[in-house]
Amino acid sequence: MSSTDTPGAPRRVAVLSFAHVHAASYLELLRDRPDVELLTADPDAATAPPGELRGRDFADRHGAAYVDTYAEALAWGPDAVVVCAENARHRDVVLAAAAAGAHVLCEKPLATRVEDAEAMVAACDEAGVVLMTAYPVRFSPEFATLRRLHESGALGTVLGATGTNNGKVPAGRAWFTDPELSGGGALADHVVHVADLLDVLLAEEAVAVRAVTNRVLHGDDPRVRAETGGLVSITYAGGAEVTVDCSWSVPDDAPTWGGLTLQVYGTEGVVDVDPFGAHVGGLGAGGRPAWLGLGENLDCLMLDHFLECVDTGRTPGPDGRAGLRTLRVVAAAQASARAGGAVVRLT
Amino acid sequence: MSHRTPTLTVGLVGAGGMARAHAPAWRALGADLVVHSHDGAADVAAAHGGRAAATLDDLLDAVDVVDVVTPTPTHLAVAGAALAAGRHVLCEKPLTRTGADGATLLAAARAADRQLYPGHVVRYFPEYARMRDAVRAGAVGTPAVLRFARGGAFPTWSAWFADEARSGGVVLDLMLHDLDLARWVAGEVTSVHATRRSLDADGAPRTLAHVVLTHAGGALSHVRGLWGAPHTSFRTSFHVAGNAGTLRFDSAESGGVRTDLAPVPTGGEDRPAPAAGERESPYLTEIREVARAFVAAPTALAPDHPLHPRASAVDGVVAVEIAEAALGSIASGEPVALDTAARVRDLGGVPEAAPHRLATTGSPA
Repeated sequence: MSSTDTPGAPRRVAVLSFAHVHAASYLELLRDRPDVELLTADPDAATAPPGELRGRDFADRHGAAYVDTYAEALAWGPDAVVVCAENARHRDVVLAAAAAGAHVLCEKPLATRVEDAEAMVAACDEAGVVLMTAYPVRFSPEFATLRRLHESGALGTVLGATGTNNGKVPAGRAWFTDPELSGGGALADHVVHVADLLDVLLAEEAVAVRAVTNRVLHGDDPRVRAETGGLVSITYAGGAEVTVDCSWSVPDDAPTWGGLTLQVYGTEGVVDVDPFGAHVGGLGAGGRPAWLGLGENLDCLMLDHFLECVDTGRTPGPDGRAGLRTLRVVAAAQASARAGGAVVRLT
Repeated sequence: MSHRTPTLTVGLVGAGGMARAHAPAWRALGADLVVHSHDGAADVAAAHGGRAAATLDDLLDAVDVVDVVTPTPTHLAVAGAALAAGRHVLCEKPLTRTGADGATLLAAARAADRQLYPGHVVRYFPEYARMRDAVRAGAVGTPAVLRFARGGAFPTWSAWFADEARSGGVVLDLMLHDLDLARWVAGEVTSVHATRRSLDADGAPRTLAHVVLTHAGGALSHVRGLWGAPHTSFRTSFHVAGNAGTLRFDSAESGGVRTDLAPVPTGGEDRPAPAAGERESPYLTEIREVARAFVAAPTALAPDHPLHPRASAVDGVVAVEIAEAALGSIASGEPVALDTAARVRDLGGVPEAAPHRLATTGSPA
C-alpha cells in the first residue's frame, strides 16, 4: 500500500541505481524534502570499475537510506522511483517499478533501443503509473521564455533552429563512454535534450534525420569507443529545418562542463536561449578562467514537477512518449551515421 | 607599411552597394577610378573622385585592371570581356552564377594569361583571418566540428537578390562566404547536405538554410544562413572545436561600444555615427592585397607566388561548386558527394591541407 493513500503522509521515493552522475543531485534534493521519505538501492554497483563511488558508500556519503536490491526497495512500497541506471538497463528497472505500482522518473535517454522505450511506455500505461523522462532543460526559465515568445506570435512561423549541446567527454562514470551500456557516444548523450525542446516547441514529429559523426575529439583516449563529434539535421512534419551540434567538444580543462543553446529562427525574428550561460566570470588562480554558474537548479524544478504529477496523476511535461519520440530521432541519427550520412525518413 | 599604387587605373563595373564599398578602398590606395554601369555610374564616380565611362568598351580602353561589382549573373560576361581585353580582374563573389560558368571564366583567364581573383572578402575580416591563422598554427589541434552562421534582413535594395535563378538565393549569395571559409579552415570537402525553409511574410521571403560539410580529414562543418525579417541585425558567428581547444566569435558580442540612450525625439537630430577608428575596412585589406598582385606582373601569378592573394580563382570556382552541391541537396533531399581536392587539382590549383596534417602535438599530455 502506497503512502499517498494516507493523507498528509510523506511520499515514499526510491532512487534506483547510482550509475548516472545526476544521482547525487537527486539524493540530496530528495533527502532534504520534508514531504519525501527516501530509500535507495544500487545493486549493479559491483559492475562499476574500482574507484567509482557507488552502492552503500555512495548512499552514506549523501545521507540516504540504502538497501541492497531493487526487490527490497520496491517491497518497501514506494509511491515513486527515480531510475538512474545505465541507459541500457533502464528497461528492466522501469518495468519492475511499474509492476510494483510506482510512478517513474527515468534518466535520459529513456532507453538505448526504441523497442525498449516502447515497452516501458506500454508497461507504465498498463500499470496506470506516470512515466516521466528526465529532461531538466525543459524547466529552465530561459526555455519558458522562448515558449511564451513563440506562443505570443512574436517569432511568427518557425523556419527552423540551430541547437548545440556541447560538453566535456563524460568522466567519473566509465559506462557513459561504453556504447553497450550508454547506447552510443555523443549522439546518444546530447541529441535528446535539444530534440525534446523542439518537440515541445514545435509539437510536430521529426520526419527526416541525417547525421554525420567523427572521433577527432578524444580520438586517442582509450575510454572513448564511440563518436565524439556529430552534426544532426532534422526535418519536422511542418517543414521546420533544424541542425544540432551534439559534440563532446568542451576541453577537459574548461571552467564549466558545457552547455546547451537553442537559436530559433522565425518569419518575424530570432530568439537565442542559453540556459547555462548566466555566470560570474573572471580569472582565477594562475590566470585560469573562472565560471560561477548562476542558473536555476533545474533538477529541483524537475523533481517538483514529477512529484506534483505523482500526487495528481497529471501527465508530466516530458512524459514517456516524449522520451520515446526523442529516442526515435537519436536512433534515426545513429542509423544515418552508420549509413555514411544517408537521410533516414521516419513515417 | 603602405603600398600605394598611384599608377593603377581601375575600371569599376557596377554602381550598386558593392561599388560603394570598393571605390573608397581603391581611392585610398591612390588608384584612378573609371566607373561604368547601366545606371548610377556618374553618381559613384562623382562621390569617389572618378569618372564615368559610357560603355564597357570605353572603360576597358581606359583602365589597367577591372573590378566587377555587378549582379551575379553578369559576372561571366563582364569579367570575360575584361580578361579578353587583357585586363586583370577582381570579381565580386560569387565568382559566377554556376560552377560551369566559373570554370569557363577560369579558362578565359588562363587563355589570356591574366590574373583573376574572387572577392571573398570575409577571408580578410580580422576575426576570420586570425582564427584561420591560429587553427593553422595548431591552436585547437585537429579541427573536429565547426559552426559558421551569417544572417540579416532579406536584401530588398535590389530586386535581383529575390530571383533565385539570378542570385542563387541565400545559399549562393550569402552562405558562399562561410562555405569558402569552412574549406579554407578545415580543408577539402567530400560531402554536402543541405536543408532550407523559405516562407513569404508581407510580400518578402524569409529564408533559413543549413549546410553540413564533411571534410577530407573527417572534420564536420555546419554553415547556417538566414535572410530574415526587415528588422534583423546583420550578425555573424563561428565556433571551431578541435581536439586541443576551441575558438569562438559572435559579432553580436564583439562591439567595443554599447549604448543605452534615450530614443531620438521626433524631428530630433540623429545620433552621431560610430567613428571609423583604427581598424581598416576589410575591403581595403582585400583590395590592397589584390592590387599588389596586379602590379607585381602583367601576367598571371603562380599559385605559390608570394604576392598571390589568399583567395584564388580556383577557390572562387570551388566555392560556387560547393554552393551548387548544397542547392542540389536541397532539391533532392539527399546528400551530395563531392571531391573538391580532385576538383582543385583538375582546375590547376593546390588543395587545402587536410586537417590531420595541421595538428600539432601541443595538446596537454
